[in-house]
Amino acid sequence: MNKVNKKSLSLVILAAGCFGIISALIMDIMGADNSFRGELLIVGVIAFLGGLYLYPTQKHHKGIINFIFLFPLLFCFAVTVIIPFGLGLFYSTTDWNGIRLTRFVGLDNYKAMFTEISFLWSLIITVLFVVINMIAVNVIGLALAVLCTSKIRGVGFFRAAYFIPNLIGGIVLGYIWQFVFNNVVLNWTLQLFDYNSSMLSKYNTAFLAIVIVYIWQYAGYIMMIYITGLTTVPSDVIEAASIDGATAVQTFFRIKLPMIASTITICTFLTLQSAFKQFDVNMALTNGTGSVHFMGQYLTNGSQMLALNIYNTAITKNSYALGQAKAVLFFIILSIVSIIQVRVSNKREVEM
Amino acid sequence: MKERLLSLLLVGLMGASLVGCGGATEGGSAGGDAGKTIRLVNGKIEVDSQLKKLAEMYEKETGVHVEIESMGGGIDIQGELKAYYQSDNMPDIFVCGGAADFDNWDGLLQDMSDQEWVKDTDAAFTNDEGVVGFPYTTEAVGLAYNADILNAAGVDPATITGPESMRKAFETIDAKKDELGLTAVIGYYAEPVNLYWSTGNHLFGTYLDSGLDREDRTYIDMLNDGGKIDDARFAAFADMVELFNEYADQSLLVSGTYDQQILNFASGKYAFVTQGSWIGATMTGDDADAYAEAHNFECGMIPYAFEEGMDTILTNSPSWWAVYKDGNVAEAEAFLQWMAGDEAQKVLVMEAGFISPYKSCTYVANDPFAGTISSYTAAGKTSAWHWLEMTDGYSQNYTGQVFADFASGTLSKDEFIETFKQVTENAYAQ
Repeated sequence: MNKVNKKSLSLVILAAGCFGIISALIMDIMGADNSFRGELLIVGVIAFLGGLYLYPTQKHHKGIINFIFLFPLLFCFAVTVIIPFGLGLFYSTTDWNGIRLTRFVGLDNYKAMFTEISFLWSLIITVLFVVINMIAVNVIGLALAVLCTSKIRGVGFFRAAYFIPNLIGGIVLGYIWQFVFNNVVLNWTLQLFDYNSSMLSKYNTAFLAIVIVYIWQYAGYIMMIYITGLTTVPSDVIEAASIDGATAVQTFFRIKLPMIASTITICTFLTLQSAFKQFDVNMALTNGTGSVHFMGQYLTNGSQMLALNIYNTAITKNSYALGQAKAVLFFIILSIVSIIQVRVSNKREVEM
Repeated sequence: MKERLLSLLLVGLMGASLVGCGGATEGGSAGGDAGKTIRLVNGKIEVDSQLKKLAEMYEKETGVHVEIESMGGGIDIQGELKAYYQSDNMPDIFVCGGAADFDNWDGLLQDMSDQEWVKDTDAAFTNDEGVVGFPYTTEAVGLAYNADILNAAGVDPATITGPESMRKAFETIDAKKDELGLTAVIGYYAEPVNLYWSTGNHLFGTYLDSGLDREDRTYIDMLNDGGKIDDARFAAFADMVELFNEYADQSLLVSGTYDQQILNFASGKYAFVTQGSWIGATMTGDDADAYAEAHNFECGMIPYAFEEGMDTILTNSPSWWAVYKDGNVAEAEAFLQWMAGDEAQKVLVMEAGFISPYKSCTYVANDPFAGTISSYTAAGKTSAWHWLEMTDGYSQNYTGQVFADFASGTLSKDEFIETFKQVTENAYAQ
């Protein structure tokens, strides 16, 4: 096969591929009933990639190969992340209700979001929840890790026992604890204080309940990471410290803690992110209920975190567009957190 | 060259597998186009097996396969349906719960006014597009009571006609609580997480409709006009709720579950319960043992008479089946017509415990409440369920919590009324 032939062959395949892709897409957008359009699209894509591969070029060969190998990943990323994100941005500027949209409202949804007091409340308690949990989960996780790396009996059992709550799904966990709070804790408070409502019915105690369950679920996981960190602390350093007469407390604060600084960074951001995204336990445990007076209004979503607020806005209150606008804000908050995380950990790595 | 061949082979293999996947998914959705299959999304998961039986009967008779997809148990069915709509996977028949739901699907539903069954019922859902909802059962909301206990306490339910007589009856029963083996007079639960619908929809529904004609839209129209509440009527309603709070089972008032509520009523621990006719199926099903132990006592319903002379219970179709316009309309309509017929009604009434909304149906379910409902219906003493037209999420996100706060004592009665109005305005401001 000479070069000219090869070139024209690859061009033909390329053109056929492009034609396949475009006609399949047009058919889909026009809503045609031809059921072969899916196959046509895939065959088109393959022909396009094949044509690219066969194209006789020295200069761009490497680039083409890279593209072909990256394509499946890029494609999946685009379909599952980029395109839905773009659609989400688009829908947040409309009055979409999940079925159809009638008009564009510009930035009205974003304005409505910030004048909605119940949403501001959700935002505030989410931040509060994140701060409390970031500290509590890390302190408790580290304490458990120290215990589980010490020389007590049955360490393996304790490690497993603390870790197991993390293996139970959040919804199941929420229902289990709902039972505990409503049937066990309630009986105690009824007998001791003649107090007839469960912990979950007041926003402040309900919030406390979510914090407790979250710590119970997550501390074991964080403990595992800390254990890995603690076991990498070289034993000769610790031995040297003990020869110098350092107490256990001194060894912990002066030697171990600085040595696992990078682990602490990782765990801090892990808890920060997952606490922000708290949804399942919140939904199963209280579904956001609990009344509270805030900014002169009686709110009924006293224990509703941000993610649950978004879900309820879209699904139960049937305003998908407003929920989408809130989700965009949620995305911005989370990306800021992620960017800071990447910065901080990069800096640390350089220092180490 | 060998390498190149190998790589081409791999590309081909990958392509083939992709096409295979694509073909499979296409094949899945193409099933609907065959013309001999229809899909029904059912919102009452408790009758799933009976519906599947009906679908089998129908397939034997006509050769049309009916796929029953049941949802329930806390799933937001409308949300789920919207996801189906987005993914171009709509069922041919699906459940709609009221005006708000039907409005969402405006323009996408089939007008069935030319169907035979329409003439046979008063319960079809009609809007300006025509008859869009097929009714399949009737449910009633009234203050359910245990006739044996009321007898033993010497209270005649017929004498409870207003707030004073209701209070008197409660006091009489409360005085004899121990000898009757009662935990509390009334099984009223105001738990806000999972039972918000009981207070926020059904109990509040009596404020909207109790004592009124089926066509009377006074209070729902007021409510839907920016969330207005009638002061005098609501104050009387609040008095009744206060009475319930006082005589309820204190340990479960703000935290009990639906299951506990029905089980305790079925075991004869409460004289009254604030649930509707649907609990009959649970009492004779899941709770059959406890109910038998309580000697399968007789049940009845009295009106929620928070004003003197209110004499109606609230009955309605709780939801309807709608036909999707772009689906398999002809087959779906034929199936619904068959469902309204004698053969299917027999299964629905006798096995699923439904109370038929069809006049030609002569079956009466073996349900503790079936008799009560028929007698109220025959006497014309029923009101509608206009709460179905309240704004989306009103009970779940707003009022359920207010009832719970009132029950736990956080809010006094005056605060309850004031707060209720405020959250209502908020709910309607959106």
